[in-house]
Amino acid sequence: MSTLTLAALATLVFCAPGYPGGSGDAQPFVDQFAKAAAASAGWKSDSLAAIYDPTEQGGLAKLGDKDAVLAFVPYAFYVQHAAALHLTPLAQADVAGVGTQERWTLVGKAGGPVTGPASMTGYTILSVAGYAPEFVKHSALGEWALPTDVKIEPTGQILSALRRVASGEPVVALLDQTQAAALSTLPFAAQMKTLTQSAPMPVALIVVVESRLPEARAKAFQAALIKMNAANGGAETLALVHLKGFVMPQLPGNAGKP
Amino acid sequence: MKRCIGVAVAAFSLAGCKAPPSLPAAPPPFLTVEQLAAAVAADARLSDAEGDSKIRAQLAADAGRNAQACLEHAPRAAACLYYDGIALGLRARAHPLQANEALKAMLELLGRAEAADPEYDQAGPARVLALVLVRAPAWPLGPGDAEAGLASARRAVALRPQYPPNVLALAEALAKTGDAHGAEESYRRARDLSAALPPGSDRDDWLHEADQALRRMPSH
Repeated sequence: MSTLTLAALATLVFCAPGYPGGSGDAQPFVDQFAKAAAASAGWKSDSLAAIYDPTEQGGLAKLGDKDAVLAFVPYAFYVQHAAALHLTPLAQADVAGVGTQERWTLVGKAGGPVTGPASMTGYTILSVAGYAPEFVKHSALGEWALPTDVKIEPTGQILSALRRVASGEPVVALLDQTQAAALSTLPFAAQMKTLTQSAPMPVALIVVVESRLPEARAKAFQAALIKMNAANGGAETLALVHLKGFVMPQLPGNAGKP
Repeated sequence: MKRCIGVAVAAFSLAGCKAPPSLPAAPPPFLTVEQLAAAVAADARLSDAEGDSKIRAQLAADAGRNAQACLEHAPRAAACLYYDGIALGLRARAHPLQANEALKAMLELLGRAEAADPEYDQAGPARVLALVLVRAPAWPLGPGDAEAGLASARRAVALRPQYPPNVLALAEALAKTGDAHGAEESYRRARDLSAALPPGSDRDDWLHEADQALRRMPSH
């Protein structure tokens, strides 16, 4: 495929499993982001389309399309699918209110039987990142040797998950940084305890998919992303998708490699 | 990204409050509580059908004025509390950056309206409370709480089981909390209840909503 043809077909797939919002809600914002990022990279303004999908399966289907050259994905998604989809990190997102990195926190019932990984036999881990068991086991809880019978389940209803934890069901919840920071606002916060916390890890990444973007264009796009917050109108465009900017990727040593 | 989506999703429909005849936008001082409440309901219906954000902002402002005038007449009337809540919902939709604050205030007003008269507008306070709790961004991004929404929807259905919007709200809450079978049953019931009503635009809207939802159900 020639560069000219590729330029006209390139798509940036935004995939955010577990978080609220439908495609229609987010589409105008990702459209504007793609247009600005393309312009910043010196591409034709209509050379990069964007598409948003709030589900893992929907995102994977879209990434299977040969026009999907770039993706904006949570770090959990990256860890789960980097090897199979040959995802190459291009830039690390600086998310408004979170930063470029976040810690994940495992919470259980205060005074409950879970005191360490060995006591989690028969338990279920509920998390917005539950769709990515590789991330949960080897990144967020990499320091905890989970028993083999521990289940990992995705949930978009983290408040319900925390109620189940507080009520003493055999479940624990793995929270992202925003959720963990807000834990004290819950009326039943005193019934929760932090079991463990991850090392800092990226929040989200922009990645090249299956080497579908020629290296020179990838480099140009990477440079554009890094300087985007300083460009005219860039900060405003980034704010639409609740970003402050991008930095070069700084992945933990155990991150999935293509 | 997740927060932006959370804010964007706060723009939800308030369909389900019955539309009375249109009234002038500005509230003349002689309007009664019922007329002011009807004016807010008309604004809500127009806003649901409006795609232009500027017009939605005007309708939200108009609804806010009418609701405030209503509260000045009768600060404890269920109608005024209920429609002040509806007006705040319109404001949340028109001004997404203020959505969370408006939605929290809306929940508080709807709770007071339900306490004052739970049967008002065919169990409207519990019904709209359910829709807000189910559709708003959930903790920690917003005041959404699907389980509390389901409880509200059940209260609305318990009070007015034959009113299709109550059954639609219950179906939506069941779907959101993971009970696909219960949701499908409720959508079917809402469709049957709507189909038994005399022809009209409300009936058509309710039938359409039930049919659309049933087409999206896993069994289809």
